[in-house]
Amino acid sequence: MATAPAPAAEEIAPATKALSCPNCGGTVTLRAAGYTVTVACQYCGSLLDVANPDVRLIKKYKEAVQELEIPLGTRGTLRGVEWEAIGYMRRSEGGAYPWEEYLLFNPYHGYRWLIANRGGWSFGEQLTRTPDWAGHTIALDGQNYDPFFANGRAQVDYVVGEFYWRVKVGESVATDDYVRPGFMLSREANNEEISWSLSEWMPPKEVGKAFGISALVQPWPPLPHQPSPHGRAVKTAAKIGFGMLALMLLAMFVFGSSASLFRGSLPVTLDGTPQSATVGPIALNRSWQIVNVSARSPELENGWIDIDYTLVNRETQVAYQAYGVAERYSGSDSDGPWTEGDRGATVKVASVPAGTYDLVVEYTGNRWGGAGYYARSEARSIDLQVRRGGVFISNFILAALFILAPLIFIAIRHMGFESARRGESDFASSGSDDD
Amino acid sequence: MLRVPCPNCGAEVLFRSPALPSRVCDYCQTIVVRRGQSVEAVGKAAVLPFDVSPIQIGTRGRFDGQGFEVIGRVRWGWTDGSWNEWLLLFDDGRDGWLGEAMGQLMLLKERALGDMRSNAINALADGKPIEVGMEAVLDGEMMMVADAREATCIAAEGELPFPAPVGLTIFSVDFRSPSGACASLQREGEMPTLFAGRYVTFDDIAATGLRVIEGWRVPAFGG
Repeated sequence: MATAPAPAAEEIAPATKALSCPNCGGTVTLRAAGYTVTVACQYCGSLLDVANPDVRLIKKYKEAVQELEIPLGTRGTLRGVEWEAIGYMRRSEGGAYPWEEYLLFNPYHGYRWLIANRGGWSFGEQLTRTPDWAGHTIALDGQNYDPFFANGRAQVDYVVGEFYWRVKVGESVATDDYVRPGFMLSREANNEEISWSLSEWMPPKEVGKAFGISALVQPWPPLPHQPSPHGRAVKTAAKIGFGMLALMLLAMFVFGSSASLFRGSLPVTLDGTPQSATVGPIALNRSWQIVNVSARSPELENGWIDIDYTLVNRETQVAYQAYGVAERYSGSDSDGPWTEGDRGATVKVASVPAGTYDLVVEYTGNRWGGAGYYARSEARSIDLQVRRGGVFISNFILAALFILAPLIFIAIRHMGFESARRGESDFASSGSDDD
Repeated sequence: MLRVPCPNCGAEVLFRSPALPSRVCDYCQTIVVRRGQSVEAVGKAAVLPFDVSPIQIGTRGRFDGQGFEVIGRVRWGWTDGSWNEWLLLFDDGRDGWLGEAMGQLMLLKERALGDMRSNAINALADGKPIEVGMEAVLDGEMMMVADAREATCIAAEGELPFPAPVGLTIFSVDFRSPSGACASLQREGEMPTLFAGRYVTFDDIAATGLRVIEGWRVPAFGG
């Protein structure tokens, strides 16, 4: 925020007013004169009424004033605005689960709250509008907040410094809290009024840096509205992981799209005689490709054909080899007729560079003989097809696992954090529906 | 515009609008009331107690497209504190109030009493108790009584629509809506007067000419 140019001759108003404590005589500095109603003397803790020009002693105390993590009068800049700590309250749930609240003041921005709970910090503001119910959640400015604590009772256990209302030790309000990651909406009600405040979770480092706090701890379980430190990583890992998978699928689609390169028929006899044939030329024009070779013998029955393929680059004589078998058996037994095997065989040759190739096919056909095999094979030919493309599903799954492993690891840590956070809620249930 | 010498100390006092017939002399705190072209002294305002309000006479801003200037203030006190009501003179010659309490700002303009429907109005007229939570409807929006109390004038400065002597007592009922709209019924004597508007921030009203407070940076609002 820029500083408005101040006219040179402008009168500068003092920021504080000093008064002396009617109990101990100590000089009490008023840092929000005109707004402050009650001051708890920083020396003896006595409560003073400063609503009227004459300072009145409300309640006399003679106690050692507790040392604060942020001494009153300390200034710190949070979210671009400078704030001065002017009041401090320690509150609790009927004496249990204590937390601390610092009242922050800036004459141009009013009041805020800096709340310390088990070492976690939140920056809060009283609202001038109220949220609406939206089903089981409440909504403010288009954001939904889930119920987290209900029917609480917050009491004031200790105060020091100045406040804009008549603060009393021992007084309590009914509380309800609602959360979304990073934010908590709190309702406080007594017989006279209902007030709503919105507080934002602050990274301890940010508060520590602003107000000079050195001993920082990470609360565990996390604060109700503490965003999971893994939440962003989960999103990033998911984006990267699924992005890579999508790229892989796209690459497979582009580079793996099949195109027929050769189609033909080879004669075969099923007498165990090795036969061979060379087909080509087969032109592979992509830098790298998968070559599928499928063979099918439509009339094959009670026989098998072993097929060895050698894909030879005409220029470099580099050879790529693969092996397949087509087999088919049938018969009949007490359960009736049966068949077994596949008359076709498809093999893949991966990562074949561009070039002109010949495919050498060496094959041997065999017939199965014996009692009970009625059908005799009439196989006379092999239909051969050479295609570019095809996908190794197993490779894809392996790659996907590699890509997604970090995501799964981070997601497990994220769920651990979220479950510890939710575990504190009055609405926690064993079978909670995690998102 | 009327410039006359203060009947008490002779310093020049300025009346900018016939609708604002009262003002406090900047030098001697005499309350001067305008009667046509002449003026008379009707009492003395107290010296304002020290506060760190960033608003001052001369502060400017904008609200609903209209520029305004702060020309007066009444400081009200009640049993549990005090607050400022700053009088705004808009560029169209109308006036409004900027209420400043607990570090929050409410900008209100006078409305016809008939614009609001609420049992609180009748209760107030009949001198019956007003309870927190009583409902009202204004401009189709539901509001609720957030606060009802008697307030006493502590001090005043600048131009005002009414003389504000120390000890002037009014009864004030504040209404709030879920959306941040607010209204105030104020009764001094017989009939209540209705003011309505909404919560604002210095940024919302692009405030300029704010008071410089020692050791604090004056932000550039509305920029």
